[in-house]
Amino acid sequence: QEKPTLRLSSVVSENDIRAEAFAEIAEAVSDSFDMQVFNGATLVAQGSEMTSIQRGNLEMGLIAPQTIAEQIPAWSIVTSAYLFSDAAHLKATFDSDVGEELNAMAADAGIHVLAPVYFGTRQVNLAPEKEIMKPEDLSGITMRMPGGDAWQFLGEAIGANPTPLAYAEVYTALQTGAIDGQDNPLPNDYNMKFYEVTSQIVLTGHLIGFDVLAISKELWDGFTPEQQETLQSAVDAAIAKSTQRHLDREAELVQFFKDEGLKVYEPDRIAFRDFAQKKYLESEFAASWPDGMVDRINALAE
Amino acid sequence: MSWEFGAAVALIISSAIIGLPIGHAMLASSVFYLLLQGQDMSIAFEQMLTGLYGSYVLLAIPLFIFAADLMNVGSLSDRLLDFCRALVGRFRGGLGHVNVVSSLIFSGMSGSAIADAVGMGRIIINLMTKDGKYPGAYAGAITAASAIIGPIIPPSIPMVLYALVSDTSIGFLFLGGVVPGLILGVLLMAMNAWQARIHDYPVEDPVPLREMPRITLRAVPALLMPVILLVGIYGGITTPTEAAALAALYAFLVSTVFYRSVTLRMAYQTVRQSAKSTAAVGFLIAGALAFNYVVTIEQVPNVIRGALGETELTRWSFLLMVNAMLLLLGCLLEANAILLVIVPIFLPTAVALGVDPVHFGVIVVVNTMIGLATPPYGLLLFVVTSITRSPIRDTIRHLLPFLAIMIAGLAIITFLPELVLWLPRLYGYNG
Amino acid sequence: MTTPSRPIRTLRGLAEAVPAILLATMFLCFIIQVFMRYVMNSPVGWTVEICVIAWLWILLWGQSVSAEESDEIRFDIVYGSARPAVRRWFRVAFSVVLVGIYAWSLPALWDFVTFMKIQKTSYLDIRFNWVYSIALVFSVVSILRYAWIFWGALSGRDTGQSSIEDIGRKDFSE
Ligand code: NA
Ligand code: NA
Repeated sequence: QEKPTLRLSSVVSENDIRAEAFAEIAEAVSDSFDMQVFNGATLVAQGSEMTSIQRGNLEMGLIAPQTIAEQIPAWSIVTSAYLFSDAAHLKATFDSDVGEELNAMAADAGIHVLAPVYFGTRQVNLAPEKEIMKPEDLSGITMRMPGGDAWQFLGEAIGANPTPLAYAEVYTALQTGAIDGQDNPLPNDYNMKFYEVTSQIVLTGHLIGFDVLAISKELWDGFTPEQQETLQSAVDAAIAKSTQRHLDREAELVQFFKDEGLKVYEPDRIAFRDFAQKKYLESEFAASWPDGMVDRINALAE
Repeated sequence: MSWEFGAAVALIISSAIIGLPIGHAMLASSVFYLLLQGQDMSIAFEQMLTGLYGSYVLLAIPLFIFAADLMNVGSLSDRLLDFCRALVGRFRGGLGHVNVVSSLIFSGMSGSAIADAVGMGRIIINLMTKDGKYPGAYAGAITAASAIIGPIIPPSIPMVLYALVSDTSIGFLFLGGVVPGLILGVLLMAMNAWQARIHDYPVEDPVPLREMPRITLRAVPALLMPVILLVGIYGGITTPTEAAALAALYAFLVSTVFYRSVTLRMAYQTVRQSAKSTAAVGFLIAGALAFNYVVTIEQVPNVIRGALGETELTRWSFLLMVNAMLLLLGCLLEANAILLVIVPIFLPTAVALGVDPVHFGVIVVVNTMIGLATPPYGLLLFVVTSITRSPIRDTIRHLLPFLAIMIAGLAIITFLPELVLWLPRLYGYNG
Repeated sequence: MTTPSRPIRTLRGLAEAVPAILLATMFLCFIIQVFMRYVMNSPVGWTVEICVIAWLWILLWGQSVSAEESDEIRFDIVYGSARPAVRRWFRVAFSVVLVGIYAWSLPALWDFVTFMKIQKTSYLDIRFNWVYSIALVFSVVSILRYAWIFWGALSGRDTGQSSIEDIGRKDFSE
């Protein structure tokens, strides 16, 4: 019997830690599956992974939760600021009955969630030297956020003036002053050399960044239990390792950025958290959140 | 690579040769591939639609086209020409120099070689051939050669396309093109001086120096355009994409409000024409996006990388090979198609061999632009011969020395990356 | 060529006005975007969405509904220099290819476009089946246009002279 072909489309670059994780998965399941990894959004355009899976034209995808939320509004809860406190909380939530509920909604849309894939905690990175302790301090600061209204709202929720801009143009825009800042996990700040054109990193930790590694529901249901087990355990092992590597890297980079002469400090996170959660609860996003889910997720934090 | 892939490529080539528009040839062949593979045929259209929808940087293209069209409709081009004539017309082969210098300045506002050739080119060809001063074929040849510089000096539509497929910063690519563009300009002027001596081309009556201030003043609004773009992008006002809109706004205001040379009706005609050009270029990109899916799913880049890996290429032999191959392709293929389909295949190898992506981008753009003027398939060649009405054979004969010196220039740019990277590095690029 | 009748010219004018208006809109949106961010310090995001939709429609509308043969970029070394009798058969062949492939894929395209109602655009909440419906217009109009070319070539009424005599005066841009 021929091995099933699994084409995975992701937006991560070839030298990303996650690309290594996908290669490890492909290697680990090679006896059971012919898994082909297409990184850099070369196979399907960014944001089209979910519809491609739904239409049966793609087997696996690394899907942004914002993309899922476009179809399943309840999922916007996991894209909101200050929901998860760290990577462990993220994993605990997806392992809990809350995760089961979210995954069931995705399954109804034809997507089987294999794992949340952590890629770093988003921190505010600014060119101006102004000290930022409260969300009010970010008022009037033009901050680049990824395009789309969920992302732009995230910027508003921490008090900034969000503006969309292509990722490749952020460096120049920071340097020329077209924007005052941007938000990304520390490894991204390092890879894109943003630290050269900014003066400070405010450890707001406003969003635990993650994508969802998913496979076609129809395909998954057609697998034998052994095949499911093979794939799931390969995913679990590789993603656990990848998460740990991201955490180690982030810890390392704090010192690196300090050595580069940046101010790296923690603001009043409670103030940010209260401000953001209030903004979200007043927004149209919260209207679609299942009752009590925020509290249940909060309860899962250690 | 599968036989279905071979069939799709064969269909693109054969249908394009018998005259099916290239965009349709690529799109239809991608659908054909999916049909043969038994896959969902809508994927080709989906790739085209999501690719176009998701590529925000491409929006610079229609706006750069619009800005250049406005420049040509308004009298900005004429004033610019008067200025260049006063500046370099006094030397032997003067109008040839004027041709090159005006292209250099115009290229600071236009992102397109064709826009340069049909706009500035038409005016200056008429000047050169009036009273039989220069053979039409020579005027056409130097116009085509100098138009090549257009997209090398920023702004540049091909560089926008390169940035799209390579994830390189448009800002740094633009800066990277400045020095190479100027070098090519100087080389062309040297070649023109030499040709002028051989063929004994005339010297213009020098424009009296006391006229200079008036002529310069008249040209100031046009000369300011590149400054506006640079200040827009590097002064933190706009992104490179938005700078195109700023350029169009400036051209619009200057020609309608300041010069009053453009009526509302003319403005509408210009928008209409720009939209047409946009659709023509954009549809090529659309076709390439659909076909890129086929190339990716067939893992063509990996196959080529594998093949290259076995040949133990050094950085220089790789660049030499890419240049030779692009020049060859440039004789046959459309420049945008080359950028969109070929770059993703070779860029990974280039980076693995330590070639800087901005340097590589400038090389590729210079190369594909030279391809625009190389026979048999060169759009610039068709454009200038349709203006001069001289036989294409004669134009090619006059073009050869210019192409030779451009290729020499390409070699210089290839082997001295510092020339390209100096300016971006000055501005903070780490490559 | 005979001059087209008045209603035809009016229709053509309207067809060409669509991409022109879209381009003008795109231009205005960009100006608003820069103005709001740089001058007002209050950036907006919806302008980007209007621009990408306009871009999509300009090209697909412009290359189908309002396209003339001289607006299309083709490889014309062989085609342009072929004798009219030969070129006629070229036209028969390529229009068969295009009509056949686009017609065959039309149901699949319809399926995709209607499926996309599942997603809405981010800022303006327009369903993607509407955004992408231009692809259906494009495909249907292209099929009709090329069926017309096929018929013209087969009946010997049109050898495609008009599509080559303008080579070089096309103002497309590299
Ligand atoms: Na010129
Ligand atoms: Na230029």
